[in-house]
Amino acid sequence: MSWVARRAAWRRRLRLNPLATHLVVGLVALVTVTPYLWLLSTSLKFKTELFTPTPRWIPWPINWGNYAEMFDRAPFGVFLTNTVIVVCGILAVQLVTVTLAAYVFARRRFRGSNVLFMLFLVQMMIPIHATFLPNFLTLRSLDLLNTRMAMMLPFFASGYGTFLLRQAFKQVPRELEDAAVIDGCGGPRFLWHVLIPLARPTLVAFGLISLVSHWNDYLWPLIVTDTPDVRTLTIGLGMFVQQESGADWTLLMAATVFVTAPLLLIFLVFQRKFIESFMFSGLKG
Amino acid sequence: MQRRWRVWLMSLAVILALAAFPLVTSEAQAPGKLIRLTFYYPVGVAGPLAKVIGDMTDKFNKENPGLEVVPVYSGDYDPTLQKVQTSVMAGNPPDIFIVEISELPTLVAMNAIIPLDDYVKKAEGGKYWDDFFPAFRENSILRGKIWWIPFQRSTPVLYWNKELFKKAGLDPEKPPQTWAELKDMAKKLTVREGNEVKQWGVTVSGGWNDWLFEGFVRQNGSWLINPEGTKANFTSKEAEEALDFWVDLMYREKVGPPHSTWGSTPPDFVAQRTALLYHSTGILTFLRNSAKFDFGVAFMPRNKTFGAEVGGGNLAISRKIPKERQDAAWKFIEWMTSSENAALWSIASGYIATRQSSYTLPAMKEFVAKDPRYLVAREQLRYASGKMMAPNFQKIREILKRQLDDAVDGKLPPAAALAQVQQQVEAVIKR
Repeated sequence: MSWVARRAAWRRRLRLNPLATHLVVGLVALVTVTPYLWLLSTSLKFKTELFTPTPRWIPWPINWGNYAEMFDRAPFGVFLTNTVIVVCGILAVQLVTVTLAAYVFARRRFRGSNVLFMLFLVQMMIPIHATFLPNFLTLRSLDLLNTRMAMMLPFFASGYGTFLLRQAFKQVPRELEDAAVIDGCGGPRFLWHVLIPLARPTLVAFGLISLVSHWNDYLWPLIVTDTPDVRTLTIGLGMFVQQESGADWTLLMAATVFVTAPLLLIFLVFQRKFIESFMFSGLKG
Repeated sequence: MQRRWRVWLMSLAVILALAAFPLVTSEAQAPGKLIRLTFYYPVGVAGPLAKVIGDMTDKFNKENPGLEVVPVYSGDYDPTLQKVQTSVMAGNPPDIFIVEISELPTLVAMNAIIPLDDYVKKAEGGKYWDDFFPAFRENSILRGKIWWIPFQRSTPVLYWNKELFKKAGLDPEKPPQTWAELKDMAKKLTVREGNEVKQWGVTVSGGWNDWLFEGFVRQNGSWLINPEGTKANFTSKEAEEALDFWVDLMYREKVGPPHSTWGSTPPDFVAQRTALLYHSTGILTFLRNSAKFDFGVAFMPRNKTFGAEVGGGNLAISRKIPKERQDAAWKFIEWMTSSENAALWSIASGYIATRQSSYTLPAMKEFVAKDPRYLVAREQLRYASGKMMAPNFQKIREILKRQLDDAVDGKLPPAAALAQVQQQVEAVIKR
């Protein structure tokens, strides 16, 4: 068999085996979903049913009480509201600042643009802990400590997002801009009508990253807030992990289900949109 | 398009307005002269302790009109220290806080807290301080002054599974008393299938194994860092023997797991994957609620002597707040550490009550009568001593833990591992 024929046969075999493909994909899915199932299972167990010599997947008897007890320990409803406000607020502002900054860096030439962009990159390399104290001092002088704003303000600009989007904008050919300008679509209108639609996958990706990372942020909210009425979900979660005695597993798992569920729901609902936006690439005339 | 822009901007404005809503705690100081104190506390053991703290402060506030203590949950010990350090450096310190006891030299070096000698001398007619267990008092004293008051305190103990003892043909009522017995029993209690260990004989919990190791060195009659935090002593013959004993258990005989985390070993004990467990007294309530078998609590076995390290967190008062706030803060601390409240806190949390007189109170007597295992840690206090402390203790802890891990992995002989610790710790202390 020639090399070409062999390759064709190999291809045919691959195509002929959707079953095998599904099997592999299914296995990967199983690996991914296993921890979550274990989480669900543990959140419904009694403390004495928790640690058995052989793992037990189906909790019996089922103990819904963990969820009630978890809400009893901390105001998780308030925490959820705060988290949503903080995370959406950060993302909303970030999308504006990041798009504008990336546009300027990618499409405008001005003196010092390279140096400025380098500064943006350097900012990405500073560990977040090193910025805690200066940020804290700033917030204190603005009298914003212990507010939701305190958790959002330091993240309104994002070096990472600017970098990501600048690269996406750069990939749009010069000719397209020239054509747009000739048609009278220059400057901000070009950004709005051409660049942003084309960079949608990048925007969605950045949005997801921002959403998840701020949803999971723990230390900064812990440091700048004091009272439960402004605090976020992760701090509530932290109450179930103890340094001296390990964790309160059943409650911790119940709380984790509650904390991760909104993100999971968002993804399930918008799943198609997300995947579409990633598939949508290249130039459309 | 124009309209869509406007909708976006509007929603953005709404979100920002919502978020900017300032909910500053210190603003409502209008009626009379209310002193509002902020109190940072970590939660160290399982249970609804945030709630217990809330109930206690509520009670204090009701009994003391004009004072209001606002409890602020601040995470584990490490995040708490970070929150305290950040706010102290920013000039916005909490009035009262609890951090891990080894951090005292760090706090003193930062000039973050005030000595409490004057308050302590006057409290309860002068009888206050001597009522605390001597081992708990040790970590309060630096350069001849009392800096903070013992509050949530524990020591490590040895837990043993009586059922597994029976299965191995051992007397279920006789835990090991000495290192030699421990090794012997651990060998009998280890169950293997081929090369795989089904059940470990003894687990020396990782994660805080630096704390446990200090106890082993004490049991061998030596120490690691002097109370002033100025001198390291990791290369003594006693320390080397202690580490060699660990290497015996975890590397040569393989009767204990060389790697584990502090949070994973109590579940291992409950799932009967280990027959003996070195861990904090703080998990006793968790074990009681989770284990389906009978188990006991014992002193950590001795070599030359019994020995243990105390652990936990103490209550401190910030330096950079006005004198009247410090006075108010002391009032709260004195109240929180009264004999009755120390007992109440111990019953709710499983920590050892810090005051000797707490154990004479009816509520406490009733509590320990129900389960005398809660008394073992208190008895062991007779042999306990202060936990080592030094500036930058978190760094020292990391150094020691890394070398302990390398030694029980067989990567380094004990003497070499400890020589490295000594060298690195000296560099940290000198700085």
